[in-house]
Amino acid sequence: MDISTFLASLEASAIATRIRDGLYLFPMIESTHVVGLAMVFGTIAIVDLRMLGLASNRRSVKRMFSDLLKWTWAAFALTAATGLLMFITNAGVYYHNTLFRVKMVLLVLAGLNMLVFELTAGRSIHRWDEAPSAPRSGKAAAALSLVLWISVIFVGRWIGFTTTRATPVSVPADVNFDDLFPGTPDGAAPEVPPDKK
Amino acid sequence: MNEFAEWLSQTYLSTLIQNHNSWVIPTIQSIHIVGIGVVLGSVFMVDLRILGWAGMDQTLRQTTNRFGPWLTGALCALLATGVLMVIGEPVRELVTVSFWLKMFLIAVGTLVAAAFQISLRKHEGDWEGAVRNRTSIKSLAILTFLIWVAIIILGRLIAYDHVWGSWSPAQKA
Repeated sequence: MDISTFLASLEASAIATRIRDGLYLFPMIESTHVVGLAMVFGTIAIVDLRMLGLASNRRSVKRMFSDLLKWTWAAFALTAATGLLMFITNAGVYYHNTLFRVKMVLLVLAGLNMLVFELTAGRSIHRWDEAPSAPRSGKAAAALSLVLWISVIFVGRWIGFTTTRATPVSVPADVNFDDLFPGTPDGAAPEVPPDKK
Repeated sequence: MNEFAEWLSQTYLSTLIQNHNSWVIPTIQSIHIVGIGVVLGSVFMVDLRILGWAGMDQTLRQTTNRFGPWLTGALCALLATGVLMVIGEPVRELVTVSFWLKMFLIAVGTLVAAAFQISLRKHEGDWEGAVRNRTSIKSLAILTFLIWVAIIILGRLIAYDHVWGSWSPAQKA
């Protein structure tokens, strides 16, 4: 199976179709994606600033890792899952979008940066745990992490401006919340604009 | 509000943003999201400390001293970028349910955060005890976190105001 067949089958899947056709699913998934990425960036930035010696620099780095990184990973899982759900609704378009590809490369680089840190400065963390800042290689990893994650946010936001939605949302006329609470202040029957009929 | 939005969209700064909107709007939105990350991270850390789930090597006061200024600073950056977004796309922003609901929750969230920090400065001992013993304070910490989560969701929903159906003024216009 070549890639375009695979992407097309993702788009045709039942779950992708439900998200595309639903009025609420895509906006809610996208909002959850923003909440998740805010948590990922917010918690990672706290750790990075600590390693750079710019904030919290009297606290144990190990302690901050154990306080924070589990939340970072949980938020990352949420962000990745919602990202995947958005991807499958319009897989062909995203796959060929340059900025989407740049974002994926940046995410891989962020992962590699973390891996390199674990294998270098992370190994000797017991020696600089209480120091005001990490050794040079640790500082470099922290600075690179901040740059990469901020870039991921920028490029991610830009994807939305360079792709078109799979299907333009059409609002069904029967979504009428005025009917939810009969007898509300202006309890008259909701007026339907003539052009919406 | 419609007339105000129309008027605003004719102003010099608004037309300037509109004329460069291929990069200005995404840039402002991206900075806005980075700020959101700082706000949510800061609120989260203070709430975790109240819940006793993280930062227990620090006092409550040390925790708010560490994250309070970042919260204030990021909120100022969010206000600045937010104002620019409203000026750049007044009709898209102001004529939505999500925007006004979001503004209301921001007022609530900010007042709660400010009141907590002021009260903590005056009654530090009481708060340390209350956080240890009273479960109502812990529920309040979870609630304030959820308020900020709701603010983020509403912010994104400004682009999808149709989810409010007939409540959305944009649908009636």
